[in-house]
Amino acid sequence: MTDQSSKSNILIYTIISLFLILAVSLFNLQIIQGENYQQIAEKNFVRMKKIPSIRGEIYDRNYRPIAINRPSFNLYLSLSKVRDRDELFNFLMTRFGFSHFALEDLFYQNRFRLYQEILLATDIEYQDMIGVSELLSHFPSLSFKTESIRQYLYPNHFTGHVGLINENEYQQLQNQGYNINSFLGKTGLEKYYEDRLRGKNGYEIIQVDATGRNLDFFRHNLHQSPRHGCDLILSIDNDLQYHIEDIFPHQTNGAIVVMEVKTGGILAYVSRPEFDQNIFVNKISPEVWDDLLQDPDKPMLDRIIHGTYPPGSVYKTVIASLGLEKELIDKNTRLAECTGGLHVGNRFFKCWYDKGHGRLSLLDAVKYSCDVYFYDLSLKLSLDDMQIYTENNFLTVKTGVDLIGERKGFFPTQAWYGENYGQYTGIIGPKVNLSIGQGELLVTPLQICAYFNALANEGRWVQPHFLVKQIDQSGSYFNEYDEGQLPLTREHLELIQTALFKAVNESYGTGVAASISYPKIYGKTGSAENHMGELTHAWFAGYAVGEHPEISFVVFLENAGHGGSMAAPLAAQIVRFYAQNRLDVK
Amino acid sequence: MKIRFRKIDWALIAILFLLLISGVVAIYSASTTRIGQELVTENYYLKQFIWIIISLVLLVFLFQIPSAIIDFLIVPVYLFSLLLLLAVLFLPEVKGAHRWIQLGFLNIQPSEIAKIATILLLAKLLAKPHLTEKQILFRSFPVTLIPVILILMEPDLSTSLVFFVIMFAILAASDLPNFYLLLMFSPLISMITSFNLVLFLICLLLIIILLYKSRLSTITISFVAVINVFIFIITPVLWGQLRPYQQNRILTFIDPLRDPFGAGYQIIQSKIAIGSGRVLGKGFLAGTQKNLKFLPEHHTDFIFSVLGEEFGFLGCLIILILFFLLLYRLSRCVNKLKVSENRFAAVGILSYLSFQIFVNIGMNAGIVPATGIPLPFISYGGSNLIINVLAIGLILKALHERSIFE
Repeated sequence: MTDQSSKSNILIYTIISLFLILAVSLFNLQIIQGENYQQIAEKNFVRMKKIPSIRGEIYDRNYRPIAINRPSFNLYLSLSKVRDRDELFNFLMTRFGFSHFALEDLFYQNRFRLYQEILLATDIEYQDMIGVSELLSHFPSLSFKTESIRQYLYPNHFTGHVGLINENEYQQLQNQGYNINSFLGKTGLEKYYEDRLRGKNGYEIIQVDATGRNLDFFRHNLHQSPRHGCDLILSIDNDLQYHIEDIFPHQTNGAIVVMEVKTGGILAYVSRPEFDQNIFVNKISPEVWDDLLQDPDKPMLDRIIHGTYPPGSVYKTVIASLGLEKELIDKNTRLAECTGGLHVGNRFFKCWYDKGHGRLSLLDAVKYSCDVYFYDLSLKLSLDDMQIYTENNFLTVKTGVDLIGERKGFFPTQAWYGENYGQYTGIIGPKVNLSIGQGELLVTPLQICAYFNALANEGRWVQPHFLVKQIDQSGSYFNEYDEGQLPLTREHLELIQTALFKAVNESYGTGVAASISYPKIYGKTGSAENHMGELTHAWFAGYAVGEHPEISFVVFLENAGHGGSMAAPLAAQIVRFYAQNRLDVK
Repeated sequence: MKIRFRKIDWALIAILFLLLISGVVAIYSASTTRIGQELVTENYYLKQFIWIIISLVLLVFLFQIPSAIIDFLIVPVYLFSLLLLLAVLFLPEVKGAHRWIQLGFLNIQPSEIAKIATILLLAKLLAKPHLTEKQILFRSFPVTLIPVILILMEPDLSTSLVFFVIMFAILAASDLPNFYLLLMFSPLISMITSFNLVLFLICLLLIIILLYKSRLSTITISFVAVINVFIFIITPVLWGQLRPYQQNRILTFIDPLRDPFGAGYQIIQSKIAIGSGRVLGKGFLAGTQKNLKFLPEHHTDFIFSVLGEEFGFLGCLIILILFFLLLYRLSRCVNKLKVSENRFAAVGILSYLSFQIFVNIGMNAGIVPATGIPLPFISYGGSNLIINVLAIGLILKALHERSIFE
């Protein structure tokens, strides 16, 4: 018993002494040193200042700029210093064109952020700033800062753009060093490489009183330098990119991609129509935003990876390869006679050439793009084999390109038809259609380009990509990418390559409009029927071989007509430009 | 069970109420800002008010439950809390650590539940009669260490410290001879003094003398000495094994000023806030330092700085006195608890409350380094508040039952 009570006394004494310590330290802080601390509080002597990091810039393969930073005068607001709200509203509305509603909203959104400066407007004209500066003494809540702002040197669909952080992003990212005025990558490379581009802000603590005496709260480390973001060097070639922008047919929607065969690096990436990303860097007005969204041509859609389309005849080499691999055909096998079409059951499937091609072998079937040959071949193939083989050729799967929101496309399976059209649907018809790249099959232009790139590259498929290397304060790093192999023997691959050569370089080949003397172009045309319009989508995909296979490309024009007449000539121009300028592609 | 209202310590309840109300007032002020002439308040104070009501309802409910059921639930609840601690490691990070389970309206901190469960389980295990010293130690260590390890992985250094305080206090209250506590402390002392040979030797000598006075055999004492020398030698080696960021985390925990852009800056600003409050404070809602963006935690961990700034030394003193009266009154009663299990549990609860209050206010005043511990009954937070109120409730319930059976 005495033991117990002595033990509980220990508890009581401990508690008493702990509270005495607290009382004494508070007495010291508030009464002995109180006056000192009051001064420090009033004069705001100890405060932290951010030193912003500089966002990495984006360059092409020859270190020519694509996205850069330039100085900008930005207007900030401190809510805590607002004196007369209505007067301020009037001022901002007349001078900077804010709407009353937008200001109300801004004040409401930031009502708990009194002591942070809030970005009101970026990129204010120098003249305007000078004009307003005189009035600023009347509005102590407003201030200007010279900061940097992003600028994109030409419209494109790969850099994406940065934009002001929104409320949702801020809630998620505030612990990662973002604040309410942060700009961050919203789309494209800017978003994909956000972590590398943004760097890390530095900080500085100012702890000096009015007499300049250091208050000595901290012993060391009062300056933390920012770590600037990495610069990105892309595989893009600005010259080729500009050239393709020039030759791209006016008033036509579509896409052109050019890849470097060996590395899989993307040399040019054009999706039309385009829009100017720079409008997103400043606060975008709702009208501009609406216009972009409502535009029936969907300028913000990156047709190369966000659009999926029926590939039409450019897909035929896949079915040909499958037939070869399954040993259903060889070089000399002739399939059903083309009489302008083929009877399958009680249906007649038309060939694009209504006079008929006769009985063709593989090389001619590809060269003339005879539909019947592939109809007949598909009758010998199972739908699910076709689906799996298509995926094994890296079609209808994501390529893994370093952009945001890539789509994978679609190839139906037997099960899918069962679910959507009932258990007993015949799948012969759909299969015949799929064999010429029609029906439910959907691919992205980038998948097609990567596939033809692999055909050129001895069957070695390389993940398409933009980033070649990144450079930061400590050095430069090269990026590595995935590789794969097309499911095709060397012998069969050479056969397909020969067929692609004949299609362009022999008379009456469908791609003859792309023929140039040097380097040689290998390629396949496609004219894909679609529900978007009367005219077919025009496709031309292939590669150019000089001393060795050098570049691969895909030309895709929405509802422009025939691939042979519309798309193939563009490929010839691209390869000719490339050859004349010898972009140092190895 | 029928509540005998006359047997309840109403003064204690009143003190608790005053503390809870001060909490709401402080939270109201901490989450109020001023735009021009306009005041804007975030609704934390309302949420806290609702939590207070919920926790009081639970308190009444706790009184209704027969003790046998609570006793029966201890092991399942303990195991459940371990499960939650494990689960939280696999959930996405909240504010840079795996401490919270987010349930939309409520963020549950599993370590809070584990804390109370550990106290009750320790009390239950150590209250068995005729335990040998070995049994006491072998029971209490695993029960404490398993949650501690899980909490260290979150990572949450300060909360795991709380568990050690609890174990130490309960062991001190148990029948375990005091020299065991010294034995437990000695490796820690060797570890801390490992950077200075002279200091280590002085401490080691002191320990040996104390053990000698406890009439331990020479063999035991030499064994302890050897172990401590070993720890003294091995600590720098282990320290070298840690990665720089791990070393930094520990050093910053001990000395927040090492991190002037994070915890250090907060503590400086908190000191400025409290100090500038002087004797009477700047007045309700008139604080200025709380508005600096430096304190994202000003309605939780740094709530005391708001009180200190707006109500001055006088206000701080009132809060200190309320806390002191609460703990003092309860610890005076501990003696009266004849059932060891209840007594041990009460000691555990009182020790963790005292520790948290001391560490939190000490941190706000810049004399205690550790961060990340909220102020009981005052800081904003639902699960935290409920656990603290129920902890007090457990002591009150034990006292109430004792008075009934007397």
